[in-house]
Amino acid sequence: MAAITRLGASPLERHKRVSFYIFLAPWLLGFLLLQVVPIAWGFVISLTNRSAFPVEIKFVGLKNYITLFKDTEVLSSYWVSFVYTVANTLIGVVTGFIFALLLDRELPGRGFFRTILYFPYMIPLVAVGWIFRIFLERDTGFLNILLVRLGLLSTGVPWMQQSPMGSILLLSFWQAGWSMIIFLGALSTVPRELYEVATIDGAGYGRRMRHIMLPLISPFIFFQLVMSFIYAMQAFIQPYIMNPRVIRGNWVMLNPPPNDIFFVMSRAYYIISGQHKFAYGMAMLWVLFAFVLVLTILFVKFGGFWVYTEADEKR
Amino acid sequence: MNIEARNRLSATFRFIVLAIFVVAFFLPLVSMVVTSLKRMDELYHLPAKVFPEKPVWENYVLAWTLVNFGKYLVNSLILTILYAVPAIMSSCFAGYAFSRFQVRESRAFFLLVLSTLMIPVMVTIMPLYMVMSRVGFVNQRGLWFIWGLSGIPFIIFLFRQFFSTIPNSFEESARMDGAGRFQIFFRIMFPLVQTGVIVAGIFAFQWSWSEFLMPVLFLSDEKSTLAIKIAMSYADQKENVLYNIGMAGIVYYTLPLVFIFFALQKRFVAGLLAGGLKG
Repeated sequence: MAAITRLGASPLERHKRVSFYIFLAPWLLGFLLLQVVPIAWGFVISLTNRSAFPVEIKFVGLKNYITLFKDTEVLSSYWVSFVYTVANTLIGVVTGFIFALLLDRELPGRGFFRTILYFPYMIPLVAVGWIFRIFLERDTGFLNILLVRLGLLSTGVPWMQQSPMGSILLLSFWQAGWSMIIFLGALSTVPRELYEVATIDGAGYGRRMRHIMLPLISPFIFFQLVMSFIYAMQAFIQPYIMNPRVIRGNWVMLNPPPNDIFFVMSRAYYIISGQHKFAYGMAMLWVLFAFVLVLTILFVKFGGFWVYTEADEKR
Repeated sequence: MNIEARNRLSATFRFIVLAIFVVAFFLPLVSMVVTSLKRMDELYHLPAKVFPEKPVWENYVLAWTLVNFGKYLVNSLILTILYAVPAIMSSCFAGYAFSRFQVRESRAFFLLVLSTLMIPVMVTIMPLYMVMSRVGFVNQRGLWFIWGLSGIPFIIFLFRQFFSTIPNSFEESARMDGAGRFQIFFRIMFPLVQTGVIVAGIFAFQWSWSEFLMPVLFLSDEKSTLAIKIAMSYADQKENVLYNIGMAGIVYYTLPLVFIFFALQKRFVAGLLAGGLKG
């Protein structure tokens, strides 16, 4: 409070500052309790030998981190997550963009299409995983029955076993509704007159898209790429439920998925809660955190050269 | 004439493409409903049939009784409310602070809010779990309230946009009349951002309803949620997964979301399009 009064020059400024902190207080409290404290604590843990067993807890410095960079299975998880993230981001953004383009102009049943295409995004992932597990089943899955009936396949394909990553990526396609909504909003900000003027000047659809629409909505595309990257790096439950191995009993989290779909988060969960190696798991999560942070900052800083801003115009 | 004909052609083309996508998007859902009405042996019987010989409605009874569905439904609802109310209020407060009381450090705080988007959930939740179990604060639903306080960055952003569209004169005249800051907020500002509250509510509901990690780490089976039960699915004594009953359970599990979404979708989409995206 002392700092607040010192900085507040005029009474009005002071009133403003007090109000600012009063209204921000709940968020600040939640942020401190649920983010700052655990994050710091997690980093401290990652520097120790803590596990679920009551052994003497020692400070081991960067040992966990060094072990981690020699652990080929863990390293492969980062790679797998990265590949998934790139593919997921592209699929989501491209599909969402195409839907938005198709829905941007007048069309009978536009509201209906928009609702239905957005809808799968509302379904929780734990449910989506099971829905697709059955949908992709070799002999009795709907997809195979359909493809065989249509004569596109002679016998059913075990999709999840043959291409576990592809099966998980199918969810990205199915849940592209979120991107679609973002892009619909983006397209609605493009002034119609610009299209009309360009059309009169003789610009075809392709040129209108390249020179008017894409520059104007590029900030949204950029935003969507960044957000999608951050979220996909955290994919966690999909490999457990869409585990190509046979699931027995009713606790899916007990069976680790095969390495080619064992995402970072999924493995960290397994290491922490299945193998009880708390410190090692935390080190793994911290490396992920650093990776996401650095990549996002680099991307925002240097990846945005193609994004159109008003400032360019003025220059 | 030429342009009109071309527009009609384009609309027809787009309609057909979208219709194909809609059908494709429906297939997994049809598969879900159809599977929920089959007998377990029908699922493995070859040649595979699309539709069940005779719909087994009993699966829906079993989905409810095999795991005490009602109890977990209530648990999920309790946690959702415990999370959604503070999440909406805290985000709304923060959005208000960012839109109306801009002081020198506001921008830094706003960047801080946005930067929380980059923190992987597990980086905070796993240590939290270790701290909590150490101090014996486990199996407490109060945690959902605190989780709610930390808000939803996207919604904070959305509320900031909404508040920015309201003219300052509204508050000023109220201030002249001697209204305090909370009076101004609750009497004047809050009612004007109802659309934002609906969008925030849908998000909060969806998040809490589908959250897996928090309940699996922090709550005992007694307080556990539907998300956990659905992830575990159903199994018989010999540990065979009962897909048909599992699908019936998923139908129950997603129904509240479907209902809320369709009841509010007009305002939800309008709110997203109007507020959040023009900034």
